[in-house]
Amino acid sequence: MPATTAAIANLKGGVGKSTTTVMLADGLAHFYGMNVLVIDLDPQANSSQMLLTEQGVQAASDQGKGTHHLLGEFVAGRPAAAAPFIMPNAVSLEELRIAEENDERRGWISSLPAHPQLRLRELGLEEEWYSGRGTPTTLSEALTKYFREAIAPLLPLYDVILLDCPPHLSPLARAGLALADVFVTPTIADSVSTWGTKQFSDWVGKYIAPDLPRRNFVLITRFRDTKYARSVASNLREIYLKDRWFGPTIPESVHVLNAMDRAAPDSYNTFRGKYAGVTGDVRRLAERFTDFISQHTGATWQKVRD
Amino acid sequence: MAESPRLTPVEYLDRFFDELREEVRSNPRLAARLVKALGGDVVFEDTAKADVANPYQLVASGSKARFLKVFSSLKLSQLRQVLKENNLATKVDMNGKNADQLVEMLYDRAASKVNERKSSVF
Repeated sequence: MPATTAAIANLKGGVGKSTTTVMLADGLAHFYGMNVLVIDLDPQANSSQMLLTEQGVQAASDQGKGTHHLLGEFVAGRPAAAAPFIMPNAVSLEELRIAEENDERRGWISSLPAHPQLRLRELGLEEEWYSGRGTPTTLSEALTKYFREAIAPLLPLYDVILLDCPPHLSPLARAGLALADVFVTPTIADSVSTWGTKQFSDWVGKYIAPDLPRRNFVLITRFRDTKYARSVASNLREIYLKDRWFGPTIPESVHVLNAMDRAAPDSYNTFRGKYAGVTGDVRRLAERFTDFISQHTGATWQKVRD
Repeated sequence: MAESPRLTPVEYLDRFFDELREEVRSNPRLAARLVKALGGDVVFEDTAKADVANPYQLVASGSKARFLKVFSSLKLSQLRQVLKENNLATKVDMNGKNADQLVEMLYDRAASKVNERKSSVF
């Protein structure tokens, strides 16, 4: 069964896209032994930083790894192949590190990281493309084709590919959305995020996925248990996004925010140590998302841990 | 939680559901959330309307008559509470308004918000 490609995306910034990406990668690898590839398309490179550390992101870039280098291949007109640009080991959990050492080949997390240079490289490409007869749409289509070819050989190697998308609609961001089988939409239970989620839903529904509701997994993140937040969350479920799959509501956790700041590239934490009070929520996230993609693909996974 | 190791699983569950039943009786908001989570339709008791009724969901259900039936029977203070808790009016907005005017304001503003936030594609 080829990997399911999931875009973690919302046009609203600050809703927890990168944290959700890392939680999903950790949860799916830890509880189901899935092999996960995280492709970071956001020049802010937050999920790459969380997986690899700042030092690791820079080291990866220095070694020629990363989405900005793959984009450079497109600019240079070279054949599409993503494998040489991947950091094969982005595991930060002690339990998964042991699995890797035993070469069980289950529960691996790999990273095709981003770097702040990605946006500069994309801007350079846009200037060149538009100076001819190109348009944002034709560039987006060309990038979609190139990235699809680049990741095609990887599909049998992974169970899930997570695309961490930026909160805008640049040609590369649009290509990321076009590559997705399913869409994970993190949002916050407040009015601005609710409206931002509508904008995302309308745009993707109109231009990328007319069947978005059945391919859309919504996650309310950074939840603070107030009367107002409960009301907004309830309205999201019952009015605005009532036809979507919902994951568990993830509470705001200062501990997790801190734990996402990996101490060093050779620093490891246990799952419980990393997620502490939201351990159960991340487990339910992995379970619910696995049910969602099972329904979408027909594939089934067995838990390897409880 | 478990006070006696001699309780059977069924007795533990009975205790749990007794506690839940008590809480549902005394907490209409929780009761409404549980009923909705189970797919049921919440019936509003007069005393609980202000606590439970959600103007956005009633507007989205499409029936203005049902909306008016729920909110027109509320006291002025309850209407002010609903408007304030749902971020649909400030004290300044509500000053000098009677109950009928507040119900109209509640409907118009909730309808406007729902229209702005609902997808125009799906």
